[in-house]
Amino acid sequence: MSDSSSNPDYTKQGAAASGAIDRSMRAPVVLFAAAGVFWLLVGTLLALITSFKLHTPGFLGNWEWLTYGRVRPAYTTVFLYGWATNAGLAVGFWIMARLSRNVLQRGTILNTAAVFWNVGVLVGVAGIFFGDLTAREWLEMPGYAAPILMFAYVLIALWVVLTFQYRNSKYTYVSQWYLLAALFWFPAIFGTAQLMAVYAPARGVLQEVVGWWFAHNLYALWLTPIGLASVYYLLPKILGKPVHSYYLTSVAFWSYLVFAGWAGMHYLAGGPVPAWIISAGVTGALLVLFPVFIIGINHHRAMAGSFGMLRTSPALRFTYFAAVAFTTVSVVAAIAAFRGVKEIVHFTYFTDGLMQWGVYAWFTMAMFGALYYLLPRVLQRAWPSPTLISLHFWTSAAGIGLYVFAMCVGGWIQGLQMNNPEAYPEFVDITRNTLPWLVMASLGGLLLFVAHVAFAIHCLWLLLRPETAENRSMLTAEPKTMKVAAK
Amino acid sequence: MSDQKKRNPEDGGGSVDPEAASDESLQEVHASLMRKREEKSEGFPIMPIMIVFFFSALMLVGGIYMANFGGRFDPMVFDETKGPLAAPDEEDPEELDVVALGSRVYQQNCQACHQADGQGVPGAFPPLVETEWVTGSEERLVRVVLHGLQGPIEVRGEEYSGVMAPFGHLSDQNVAAVLTYIRQEWGNDASEVSEETVAEIRREVGSRGAWTAEELEPYTD
Amino acid sequence: MNRLLVIVIGILLTIAFCWTGIVFSSYVQLGGLEHYEDEATGEFYPPPRAGIAQRGQKVYQELGCVYCHSQQVRRPGYGSDQDRDWGERQSVSRDYIGDRTILLGVRRIGPDLMTVGERQTSRDWYHRHLYDPRINTEGSAMPSYRFLYEERRIEGEPSGRALDLPEGHRPSDGYEIVPTSRAEALVEYLLSLRLDYDLPEVPTE
Repeated sequence: MSDSSSNPDYTKQGAAASGAIDRSMRAPVVLFAAAGVFWLLVGTLLALITSFKLHTPGFLGNWEWLTYGRVRPAYTTVFLYGWATNAGLAVGFWIMARLSRNVLQRGTILNTAAVFWNVGVLVGVAGIFFGDLTAREWLEMPGYAAPILMFAYVLIALWVVLTFQYRNSKYTYVSQWYLLAALFWFPAIFGTAQLMAVYAPARGVLQEVVGWWFAHNLYALWLTPIGLASVYYLLPKILGKPVHSYYLTSVAFWSYLVFAGWAGMHYLAGGPVPAWIISAGVTGALLVLFPVFIIGINHHRAMAGSFGMLRTSPALRFTYFAAVAFTTVSVVAAIAAFRGVKEIVHFTYFTDGLMQWGVYAWFTMAMFGALYYLLPRVLQRAWPSPTLISLHFWTSAAGIGLYVFAMCVGGWIQGLQMNNPEAYPEFVDITRNTLPWLVMASLGGLLLFVAHVAFAIHCLWLLLRPETAENRSMLTAEPKTMKVAAK
Repeated sequence: MSDQKKRNPEDGGGSVDPEAASDESLQEVHASLMRKREEKSEGFPIMPIMIVFFFSALMLVGGIYMANFGGRFDPMVFDETKGPLAAPDEEDPEELDVVALGSRVYQQNCQACHQADGQGVPGAFPPLVETEWVTGSEERLVRVVLHGLQGPIEVRGEEYSGVMAPFGHLSDQNVAAVLTYIRQEWGNDASEVSEETVAEIRREVGSRGAWTAEELEPYTD
Repeated sequence: MNRLLVIVIGILLTIAFCWTGIVFSSYVQLGGLEHYEDEATGEFYPPPRAGIAQRGQKVYQELGCVYCHSQQVRRPGYGSDQDRDWGERQSVSRDYIGDRTILLGVRRIGPDLMTVGERQTSRDWYHRHLYDPRINTEGSAMPSYRFLYEERRIEGEPSGRALDLPEGHRPSDGYEIVPTSRAEALVEYLLSLRLDYDLPEVPTE
């Protein structure tokens, strides 16, 4: 398929038009996105059960497979490997194809990968319910699910590298770097963790060091680079103006990769590991603020003066919410990593609040934004209901806000009480004092449930909607050329 | 604006995000922005200076943090504010502060009876100050500490009939340190007791019960 | 930054840097940690766990206990672990080398369990607690693990292993609650969680 004759601007032979790329990417993108949305619904349901169980321990308590210690890891796994990774891959593939100006080649690779990845997740989640969980945070899937996931991943990596290598664009863009970074970091951390924490567990606390190194980096060097790729791509495209201080992006990119991987060790603060490991984690979390600062300049100063567009562009609304969440969560995480603060918040719900701040308020919102942008283009039909989009945005923004607020504040209070054995000698009282906060968090969870149901219905509606010529022309119209702001 | 229609298309209330820049131009514009930095030399670039300053400040804080709380990368350091918890196979390379060690050994082993001021408890535990028992013969003093002493004995004109427990379980170094300490503390001014002396006496005597005053008579000078 | 090779090599270098710094160097430092032999007694510390306790640890892992309970005692002055009688000394790397799976935990929705075997020594207490945590601790947020127990009709003599439950929790007359082998293994594991030995690297004061 070649539409390149229709546009004289292409500087390189073989470069495809956006519309042609979008159409060609339909099968893999819809496959990954649909799987993602399916897992999102499953995950939300499990998250709600988890959340209810915290304040009502008897809820669904008579079956072993529905006990808290099973539902919770199942929810995390579904959310991270089912929703976040599927959505991230759909978005990543699409951005990579667009920026490499390649019509989809060898789509079978991706379709096969989609099937295997999701079978792997399914096997993993089933294994957790059957009691084969590893009980290691964010790495809960039993060892036998990993080879299936790894096989799917090899296909994914192969496709991305080929697409990038045979690109038809003259220049690369920062989004492509971040996607490549995620692509290479994931197998490194996943492989190391499977080997040293699941298959042949390393000696003693070493497996905990590896486990937290993995868990943090799954967020920091797998999900976050994909989210950043999406924000870097969508912001200038929607706003029609370039990223602010773009020349700093390469500095931010490399310094992020160098520092971010170290930051996870604060999860072991005060624990039975050598002090230097924790100190290295604190230092890493602090130094990550350098790239975060630059990325913040890139995003927020590009956004300055264009806030009016938040009203008209749903994708921008989600994307910018995510960008703000990324900046804030990185700063808060750096502060919370220090031992003095950690002494209060360690072992409390604050940990969960911060995790969701990163994984949901930042990454998931970025993925929502990207999906709102790309699904109409890939499917060549417009979103049927702006109301549902608004409902989705406001319920998810309010829901995650409420959840993070409740968990962080509640967790802080819980931490102060835990450190005060004179005033709170009975441990059960401290847990009981968190109940109002947990109920508040559950309310936030309910809002998120509404948001996700609205999103899922909307996606299904979009998929079943007929493709009209009017929509097609609108969505494939070749956009304008970006102008550099005059200085 | 011509793209107004695109932002709010009238296709049954649908909603489409604007695509205000093609991918091609996105890459070209940003690539030129990346190059521009090097060309631009006039003016006062405030941003790069701020960035460098921020980076230096973070590196400084991070470096100080690692220097203070890095635990010297020792796997046995679990408390970042302290040194290694133990170095079992390592001789302390620094010069040992005998008085400090002796004082610690005294606090842990002797102070309960002989008191912090070395004055003992009249009638029960003899004083260590201004007495030949302490400042006199090393030979006798070491034997008392290693194997204990069975009363009665006379110290500074008073009679004590209690029993002093043996402290043979203390290392030669600790015994030497604590004896040096009591011989030089509280106004006492006698010679140091060396580790070798303690080791020699320990070897010579072997294991035995508590001494009595008569048995110690040969060792008084 | 327009060449695949340059970007990929750069990315691989960052991975190598971080992997060497954290994973590999802790492997060098902790991977060969050995039991400590007390020369006076010839005992090895940490003491090995009995077979049934090891099976119990598997149950602990399967039920996801780690999501609410940690297993680590922090040093005095950092947190309140020792003031809460959760241990008389800090736990260190060497305390964990005996087990195949280590679950330190990052949440304390329930109390720390590093030394629970010292604090609570009654098997009956554990069984009651797992059967229904509200029996021992009013207002506990812990789920009950009734599925680890069997309710069965008393045939002949009542079983010696049957749970001694208070009024209101007892099964109907003629029935008794007995622990399954998994419940018994789990309780043996909890009883084996102790920190009543010394290691050279732990401060004695």
